[in-house]
Amino acid sequence: MAVKAGGFKRRSGTSSDIPSSSMADIAFLLLIFFMVTTVFRREKKRDIDWVSAEATRKIDEKRKNILHLWIDTDSQVWINDQAIADQDIAQIIRPLYAENREIVIAIRGDRDVPYSKINTITKQLQAAGAVRVTFATRMEQRMTRPRR
Amino acid sequence: MPILNRKQRVSDEIPTASMADIAFLLLVFFLTTTVFNEEKGLPIVLPEEKEEQEVSPKNILFLIIQPDGSVVVRRGESEQEQIVGYRQVEGILRQELAANENLIAAIKTDPTAPYRHMINVLDEVKKAGAERISLQMVGE
Repeated sequence: MAVKAGGFKRRSGTSSDIPSSSMADIAFLLLIFFMVTTVFRREKKRDIDWVSAEATRKIDEKRKNILHLWIDTDSQVWINDQAIADQDIAQIIRPLYAENREIVIAIRGDRDVPYSKINTITKQLQAAGAVRVTFATRMEQRMTRPRR
Repeated sequence: MPILNRKQRVSDEIPTASMADIAFLLLVFFLTTTVFNEEKGLPIVLPEEKEEQEVSPKNILFLIIQPDGSVVVRRGESEQEQIVGYRQVEGILRQELAANENLIAAIKTDPTAPYRHMINVLDEVKKAGAERISLQMVGE
């Protein structure tokens, strides 16, 4: 029952072309995936030096429930691309919290901001009732960590 | 009549060959504009305003962060203080937690200390598995 040379021949009946008619289907499938997952950036990225922590973990929260609070190198607070004075933070957050009780405040602070600033902000957040807070950090790799 | 005849030569089918091109063009657009969720950090729940609890001093471990980043460890009930680098905090806290699981890690930061020192210590506290964390500022 040795395979005859014709055994290979049988295969040549199949077309050797890449089926281009399904190309559109593949493209549309990918397209739909990216359309569904895309969220357009709402705010400008601030130029800050991130703090890093080994215990960093992913925040499992819907994007609409996360509010970014930036503290830039000059200790200026930014919410939704607006510069906010320290004493006004509670006023800004209160209506947002009333609208969405699930809100999580992600504090994105520059690494050299004095702690008194952070303390003022957390006090303001407490006054607004928004007590779910995340200190946004980058994942730290100990090996590459620069010496202080 | 000859004018009408001329029109018949135009194909009435939608050109399917360019479909892939259109789809890929849109695909590239969405590929480049996509930002995946990269929300990462150290979550913490602040106490409600004016919700102060009386805690027995033996359940508190103060971690007092100095402006230079060193940490003064003080057990609540004793006056005895120990100055350590922040890297040692995890080990100390693990030991203390093993002895007393109701222990509260009170991170007390100097107002002039940079934010990163406080995060370094909070990181250690999180790594040690402490559930009860209090954030305070020196001089309040």
